[in-house]
Amino acid sequence: MDLTFYIAAAIAVFSTVMVVTRFNIMHALLYLIVSLLSVAVIFYLYGAPFMAALEIIIYAGAIMVLIIFFVMMLNLGPETARQEKEWLRPGMWLLPALLCAVLLGELVYLIAQSKTPVTGITPVPPKEVGRSLFGPYILAVELSALLLMAGIVGAYHLGRQKKKILHRFFESNAS
Amino acid sequence: MTFNDLLSLGPLLNIAGASVLAMLLVAIWRNHRLVYYFTVLAYLLALMSVVPVARLLPHEIPPLVVIDLFALFNSGAIVGSGLIIVLLSYNYFEEREERKEEYYLLLLLATAGALVLVISRHFMSLFLGLEMLSISLYGLIAYLRARERSDEAGIKYLILAALSSAFLLFGMALVYGFTGHMDFPGIGAYLRETETLPVSVIAGFGLMLIGIGFKLGVVPFHMWAPDIYEGAPLPVTAFVATISKGGVLVLLIRFYQDVNGKEYTMLWWIMAIIAVISMFAGNWLALTQQNIKRLLAYSSIAHLGYLLVGFLSGAQSGLEAIAFYLVAYFVTSIGAFGVLIVMSSSVQDAETVEDYRGLFWRYPWVALVFTVMLLSLAGIPLTAGFIGKFYIVMAGVDGERWFLLIMLVINSVIGLYYYIRIIAMMFRTSETPLRTYIKPALPLAGNITLGLLVVVLIGLGVYPTRMMQLIQEMMTLIK
Repeated sequence: MDLTFYIAAAIAVFSTVMVVTRFNIMHALLYLIVSLLSVAVIFYLYGAPFMAALEIIIYAGAIMVLIIFFVMMLNLGPETARQEKEWLRPGMWLLPALLCAVLLGELVYLIAQSKTPVTGITPVPPKEVGRSLFGPYILAVELSALLLMAGIVGAYHLGRQKKKILHRFFESNAS
Repeated sequence: MTFNDLLSLGPLLNIAGASVLAMLLVAIWRNHRLVYYFTVLAYLLALMSVVPVARLLPHEIPPLVVIDLFALFNSGAIVGSGLIIVLLSYNYFEEREERKEEYYLLLLLATAGALVLVISRHFMSLFLGLEMLSISLYGLIAYLRARERSDEAGIKYLILAALSSAFLLFGMALVYGFTGHMDFPGIGAYLRETETLPVSVIAGFGLMLIGIGFKLGVVPFHMWAPDIYEGAPLPVTAFVATISKGGVLVLLIRFYQDVNGKEYTMLWWIMAIIAVISMFAGNWLALTQQNIKRLLAYSSIAHLGYLLVGFLSGAQSGLEAIAFYLVAYFVTSIGAFGVLIVMSSSVQDAETVEDYRGLFWRYPWVALVFTVMLLSLAGIPLTAGFIGKFYIVMAGVDGERWFLLIMLVINSVIGLYYYIRIIAMMFRTSETPLRTYIKPALPLAGNITLGLLVVVLIGLGVYPTRMMQLIQEMMTLIK
């Protein structure tokens, strides 16, 4: 079981690195999906199959589709990729990368510290999740509803546009 | 949930319910005045619903929230400040071009978020409250889309707040991963049993401190403050400066108490350094500032530094001092922003120091109010600000934190300079009288509200005993 965890974790790390190093945003998105899937596998390994399913449905499914639609609407092409490449000079990322490496070293040290291996995993079935959500944590569920409402009202207000802005595609066709 | 549970959540339920009802109201009939009266009514009801909770205290709804006198007191302060901000908002938004109704919805939701913060004692309610607050603020800060700088402020706050939330979440995950508890008392109990703090828990606390520090706007997480103060609509700025920061500070105090923060000297030193550099950076940056909104932003950074000094004194009187100082700071800040609000015209906000040249000769009443507010910010006797600072110094003496006290005194003197500069500007006669008056007529509601704030401010400054008794009573209960 340990091995499966390490493979999943390695894939998660690798794909996430690929997400941030790709020049083409669509490629990056594909890696992001892989990364989310591997995290779902890890959830599954640790006895939370429901969370794994949610991770796939919500993140890899719904949110990814939204992002892809958004990217398509922005109509990014090779031009943007070239621009990105120009921005990404070694001088730009070397120091932040070094700092991140230090942070990573810290993290590895922290993880190495825990001597007790993970044993006695208790699986959490969906029923348990539902029970605690609508039992002691009912207040949290209601607060999340308010949180979403704040997001919707804010987005509705900020998203309203008086000026009509045409998509680049239509603009070039019209002229 | 029992009846008592619902009753003890009264202020929160009122505000949250009102936000939903207000949304429906806006959907049915969009009218600025109507939604304004509705919001005022909601705040008044929430303020009244604080009273019956008092006999239930302390009431716990495990595992997420606890309502004790400390939480109730701060709930009252938050709802009261919210009410005053709403009263000041009507004219400001009436003169502006955007749709006005959503502002009240978002303000109600943000207030509800702050109310959750002050009663929460669990990571989950902490995070939900904090996110409710910040997500509403994204919308509020960028509210006047057509104005210059509002988009900039909104985007800046969005990115930085999201980043700080990520830090906070990661910190909470680390703490939870090693202690196995998400409720504050549980974490405290775990930490009492271990003699050395695990490194990961320290790292978790550090990361959480970044998230909290951002919300408080203390140095070195203060970079957003001036830009957001400048770009946001003035009532929203007042909200960010008072309710948002106050709610988070209350949460920090509760967390620190529950996990026995006093015992960890490293945590103390980090916060002491933050406090000292916040005071210095805030005051130094304000010295030559010509824009009053930015000046108040820097001044609020410094004030958070003063508050942290009271917090770090470690004495019981420190917490009392903070509670008092917080109320004084709420009243004073809202008053100062209130003056800016009533002085702003529909075209531009009255934000440069130059706008206030000779104000006394044009609008003596407003100039007097502003003078009182600035004197209170500076901590001059007979104002609430002085009493607040006095209690903080007393707490410092009790805790024998001489270094922090010396820093506080030095900074109070530096701070005096730029407050007095504005006051002097208001009393100067202008050589060029034809600089167009920024505002022809002042709104009545705004003036009445300002008058009320002045009365409270002077009242607290001259006769603080009653307030202090209440606070002392409350602090003995949370021990």
